[in-house]
Amino acid sequence: CSPFSKLQKNGTDDEKYKGAVQYYKKGDWYRAGILFEELIPVLKGSTESEMAQFYYAYTQYHQQQYLLSATLFKKFYETFARSDYAQESMYMYALSLYKDTPSFNLDQSNTLTATAALQDFINAYPGSQYRDDCTKMILDLRRKLERKAYEKAVLYYKTSGFNIASYKSSVIAINNFQREFPDSEYNEELAYLKFDAQYSLAKNSLETKQKERYQEAIGYYQAFVDKYPSSKFLKQAEKMYETSQKEIERLDKLEKEKQQPKPDPNRPAKVTAANE
Amino acid sequence: VGRDDATTSTSSTELSDYANPKEYEITGLTVTGTRYLDPNSLVSLSGLKVGDKIRIPGEAVGSSIRKLMDSGLLDNVELFATNVNGDKIALSFRVQERPRLYRVNFLGVKKGEQDQLKDKVKLNLGKIITNTVTKNTQMAVRKFFVDKGFLNTKVKITTVPDSTRNNATMRVLVDKGQKVKIRKITFDGRSEVEEAKVRMKMKGTKEMRFGRLFTPSKFVPKKYEEDKQKLIEFYNKLGYRDATIEEDTVINNGGKTIDIVLRINEGRKYYYRNIDFSGNYLYTDARLREVLGVNKGDVYDPEDLEKKMNGNPGQDLSSLYMDDGYLYYNAQPVEKAIEGDSIDLEIRIFEGKQATINRIVLNGNTKTSDHVVMRSIRTLPGQKFSKTNLIRTQRELATLGYFDPEKIGINPVPQNDGTVDIEYSVEEKPSDQIELSGGWGGYVGFVGTLGLTFNNFSARNIPNFSAWRPLPAGDGQRVSLRFQASGKQYQVYSLSFTEPWLGGRKPNALSVGVNHTVYRSYSFTDLYSRSTRGAVPIGSYSNTSFSIGLARQLKVPDDYFSLSHSLSYQRYDLNNLDIFYIGYRNGISNNITFNTTLSRNSIDNPQFPRSGSSFSLSGSFTPPWSAFRSVETSTPEDKYKLVEYHKWMFDASWFQTVFGKLVLNARAHMGFLGSYNKRTQIGPFERFVLGGSGLAGQGQFALAQDIIGLRGYDDRSVYTADYDRATDATSRAQGGVAYNKFVAELRYPVSLNPSATIFVLGFLEAGNNWGSYKQFNPFDLKRSAGFGARIFMPAFGLIGIDYGYGFDRIPGIKDRPSGQFHFTIGQQFR
Repeated sequence: CSPFSKLQKNGTDDEKYKGAVQYYKKGDWYRAGILFEELIPVLKGSTESEMAQFYYAYTQYHQQQYLLSATLFKKFYETFARSDYAQESMYMYALSLYKDTPSFNLDQSNTLTATAALQDFINAYPGSQYRDDCTKMILDLRRKLERKAYEKAVLYYKTSGFNIASYKSSVIAINNFQREFPDSEYNEELAYLKFDAQYSLAKNSLETKQKERYQEAIGYYQAFVDKYPSSKFLKQAEKMYETSQKEIERLDKLEKEKQQPKPDPNRPAKVTAANE
Repeated sequence: VGRDDATTSTSSTELSDYANPKEYEITGLTVTGTRYLDPNSLVSLSGLKVGDKIRIPGEAVGSSIRKLMDSGLLDNVELFATNVNGDKIALSFRVQERPRLYRVNFLGVKKGEQDQLKDKVKLNLGKIITNTVTKNTQMAVRKFFVDKGFLNTKVKITTVPDSTRNNATMRVLVDKGQKVKIRKITFDGRSEVEEAKVRMKMKGTKEMRFGRLFTPSKFVPKKYEEDKQKLIEFYNKLGYRDATIEEDTVINNGGKTIDIVLRINEGRKYYYRNIDFSGNYLYTDARLREVLGVNKGDVYDPEDLEKKMNGNPGQDLSSLYMDDGYLYYNAQPVEKAIEGDSIDLEIRIFEGKQATINRIVLNGNTKTSDHVVMRSIRTLPGQKFSKTNLIRTQRELATLGYFDPEKIGINPVPQNDGTVDIEYSVEEKPSDQIELSGGWGGYVGFVGTLGLTFNNFSARNIPNFSAWRPLPAGDGQRVSLRFQASGKQYQVYSLSFTEPWLGGRKPNALSVGVNHTVYRSYSFTDLYSRSTRGAVPIGSYSNTSFSIGLARQLKVPDDYFSLSHSLSYQRYDLNNLDIFYIGYRNGISNNITFNTTLSRNSIDNPQFPRSGSSFSLSGSFTPPWSAFRSVETSTPEDKYKLVEYHKWMFDASWFQTVFGKLVLNARAHMGFLGSYNKRTQIGPFERFVLGGSGLAGQGQFALAQDIIGLRGYDDRSVYTADYDRATDATSRAQGGVAYNKFVAELRYPVSLNPSATIFVLGFLEAGNNWGSYKQFNPFDLKRSAGFGARIFMPAFGLIGIDYGYGFDRIPGIKDRPSGQFHFTIGQQFR
């Protein structure tokens, strides 16, 4: 029989508590966790109850049971709102949630919850020593959302070979990205990609829609060049820009040729429509 | 019932002076009358405490009694003052406990009915028996029998208390009486519609008749009400818009039978006269009328109209708008004028604004990566909102197999700027499969199977341990590993991998597979003799194969089509074993094939399809080796060194909901094997073997064959050629060169829960297998019929049992029709 199981089986509550604290201090989270879990219902109403719950939450945190530790820390600062450890507990709640956030390519509901918890902490304790950490974490979570939105836009661009309509989706997704994350590092690449997507869309369009789409692409190019005059994508972009201009010229010429021959007396409406 | 504060006893005059409530301090609180409950906990339940100051009479007294009664533990509570001394008072509750239910006895009821009743009535043992419980039980039991046609059921309930504990046994005495049958149903006032048809609509209420087996005559009030409703709907459907049941009488003929008299007012039959549209600016009336497909002079049928307006995605009136971005579209048919038998209909349309999709939001993918789901979504930003595309997306997400198909949520969220965001929500379900069976048997050693299939694998995450949950998952790749053994005698090792979007740009699926099989033949004397240490094999056979394939989703003729190509190499190694019966015992055969498959699949749900179809046409070709060598002179060893054939397979399967949840599945399968060179026979490889469950089965080294099931016949038995008169040994031993099989199956889902999808089925099947094209006759088929069940559990895949009855004789095997059971594991495609 190991001393641990002896303690677990035969120890008095007091011995168990002391033992648990010792295990905790040694960093034996597993054993400390088991003892605290057993003690918490027994200690209800006693003086040790507060610390037991606080330590128990930590044992779970250290065992990477972040979802559980988040719940425990939350319960702690709600129950012992006037405790000395309330602040730390609230921070640990937010931190646990932060640690539990999934990779960017999965459902981000937890990321949003964690961001809110971190923000709540900053609001509750503006002068806290953990404030900077929280700010950093919020930024980090935001970067996750940013990456998600970026990948989505790129995915539309990437899969456009399967469905040409995805070029347009890519442009729209990039527009949304630019609005939501104006300071993102991805913006340079996306500005280029937006032009590329619009250019590719124009290139693969029916002749009737090409001119308008090339013109729009040129608009995106200009916005890109103005903002990133020394971009590494500039060289590729320039080529497409030139082609776009040439294409517009060609389409203009084609339009004129179509107009010039006999104006069909029977269907004048059509011709005017083409003029517009 | 003693709920009121019965502040009786000695000091009653003092206490019950309602005009002068007085404040007292409680000096004592006691509880009397408890038998099993703890008095202290009752005191704490009452909300009163010693030392409290309360007004008597007053709110506190009443509320303490109420709190105790609300606990549901007590039948009666009274409050007394036991001692009053100035402004001090001692109070006492006198309580009467309620018995708890210990056992339920049903009397006058069959054993099977008892079990059903216990489920229905939901009496939890240990529950406190209140009047409500008794009454509800009585009603539920009565309803149970009334619903079975025992209209005159009488139920009596008595509670018998237990003397030792606070328990009671509930005795439910049932007198079912006679089952009430319907002697006659009379339809008065019916003239326009045939009586038989009207009668047929009363599906749950039938006249008694000798030999009515499936829907016995009984009178169930609930069904009767439904049937009356159905009757009216039936009339409405025929254009009798005003049809009503004016009066219905149920006449009791002395308890055993009843008569029903229904007086129907049919009204007249109505027809459409003018159909007008209003509010339509985008489409002309003529165009809308064409899409709607209702014409002047048609019978007026509101149900059909509703279907043509909303019920058929892609083809109904709403799709005209809803598939072109008109998210806010709404149309109401209004009967504008009714003259004689004609109805003028105005369809009021609200077109609204066109909405363009802006964002696609995906929630709930806690395991599967965004890109795997996003690439299956058919609604794209920048496109016009389309209902048809939403429904298609739902199908695509269900087909992935990673999400619970019954819980795919689609929610279009209109924005202020004329765009719409579409939110999809999914719920992950386990998609991996494990097959594990095994044992240690006598002389053979380990016997068993270990199979693992990961349908949502992520090869990219293999080095990234933090992403293992418990394996790298989420990229939609498929890895399948399998090991099967019957000791030393027979072993199979296989591994396959599929990436559905190679390169991530287009749905080009790459699959790679490796397989190795070994079979060793032992002499039986060696096997059983204990003296020989380890049996000595007398011969062995191995088959090693490798294949690589690329499948592409097509866009023409439509995007349900896909085209795949694969290249495979198989090597058969014979070592003193004539397993193919082709005249050589030692040698190597190499089989190199190129396969092309064109397929279309629009099945709505992979586990329990209700609609859609799939078909596939495939051709496999070996190089025409015989063009480069002389066929006549070569020995079997030489001839089969390089295997040569071409093979064609066709499979079609079609699903249709017939009625309610019942689904019809019709299938046709055929395969043909041929040789390039007229002078060579069709070789022994890749022939068809028909019959039984269609499982390759353990120990059946059906490696160079195509095994196809035919229920109702023995495994691998169906073969037309007369066994004894088969002209050449090759074809006799190896199977047919052409097979046909046709199946009609009716399926009914028992449970659609994704953790265990269960359905039952009945089938008719016919198929045959021919040894040569001279014998081939698609009308000469071996027929069978039967029934079975399937259960799909995510961890185990599909497991099935069928009972099939074969009607035809199989030469050499089957003399007369007989039936048998078949077990299947895994999805059977043919």
